[in-house]
Amino acid sequence: MNTKGIIVGAIVAIIAIGIILSYSSAPSETVNLDMGRTHGDVSTAMGSPILGDPDAPITIVEFGDYQCSSCYNWFHKEKPAIYENYIATGKANLVFVDLAILGRDSLTAAQASYCAEDQGMYWEYHDLLYNSQESKIDNGWANSERLKAFAFSLGLDMDLFESCLDSGKYTKRVQYNVSVAKKHGARATPTFIIVGPDNQQEQFEGAQPYSTFKKIMDNMI
Amino acid sequence: MVETLKIVFSNFRYSLLAIGIFLPMLFVLLILSEFIFLEPYFVGQIPKGTELGFSLIIILSALSALVLPMNIYRINILKNSKGKIGGSIFGSFIGAAAGACSCGPIGFAIISTFGSVGATSLAFLTNYEIPIRIIAIALLAIIYFTTVKSLRVECKLKPE
Repeated sequence: MNTKGIIVGAIVAIIAIGIILSYSSAPSETVNLDMGRTHGDVSTAMGSPILGDPDAPITIVEFGDYQCSSCYNWFHKEKPAIYENYIATGKANLVFVDLAILGRDSLTAAQASYCAEDQGMYWEYHDLLYNSQESKIDNGWANSERLKAFAFSLGLDMDLFESCLDSGKYTKRVQYNVSVAKKHGARATPTFIIVGPDNQQEQFEGAQPYSTFKKIMDNMI
Repeated sequence: MVETLKIVFSNFRYSLLAIGIFLPMLFVLLILSEFIFLEPYFVGQIPKGTELGFSLIIILSALSALVLPMNIYRINILKNSKGKIGGSIFGSFIGAAAGACSCGPIGFAIISTFGSVGATSLAFLTNYEIPIRIIAIALLAIIYFTTVKSLRVECKLKPE
């Protein structure tokens, strides 16, 4: 084999390895870049990435606030069973849309979640916020410093995260999500819209039990 | 004490009033605190960790249903002062307002109407829901015992 052939072969091999490495190190979730994304008649374009199979027949749209105690209750008591039986099995997926209205830190926390999404860690950050929620609104548990500390604990690039949060990069995104929630008549957190395979929708409020979700989704499938 | 209760609640109108206060108050507070959901299905639940809140709602509703008719009886039958009924209504209202969680529709309506002032007030009611309910229950309990005492004197009942 001549030298030229060896060099070309090495270059091709390096490029191939580079491509494989870049794919294997890609974050496990996709950043939502679909500006026209809707579920039923709900615009989820500015909402969270999709949790679960994007092609699942049912979508659960949750309008929530990171400081809402009912959202906390639902996250801890009902969501695990829904995740296990519907999301992990590909029957449903979930999109979180911010209805950040309860306090000043609600807005900052929602923005921080999208700064984490920039680094492919939206759902990890989302879960960390609900695992860290304290019972009092605006008592400092979700202030800017704590939000940065949460990012640090997840191993995010702090320069990127801090510049994102401090610049207010996602202020309008959160405001848009709040306006979408209000447009759909959400007047409590959490409010859910379950969108079925034929775009049929069921909307309801509160940290409702798993049985309610099961009944609605089983009827839709 | 039992004699005093018998005097008031042997009158059918006051028993009816007590039931009329207890059931709606209990039902509304259970809905506001998400122990009962009406839509999309009628569902009741007491999630783990919320047993204290549930018990306080029952105690608050029961005390309100006892104290309010007793004081209305004092005003109607004995033509006495209205001071205690003001305190009972205040206690019941404060205890009930503590359940107007800012996550719920009432909270949202207040935030939408009053902006940041409404949000701050609701945050206070939400943050201190349990202590406020306990204070309201303590207030109603004090009014209950003073009402029983004054009825016993005013009706010239023999102590048990």
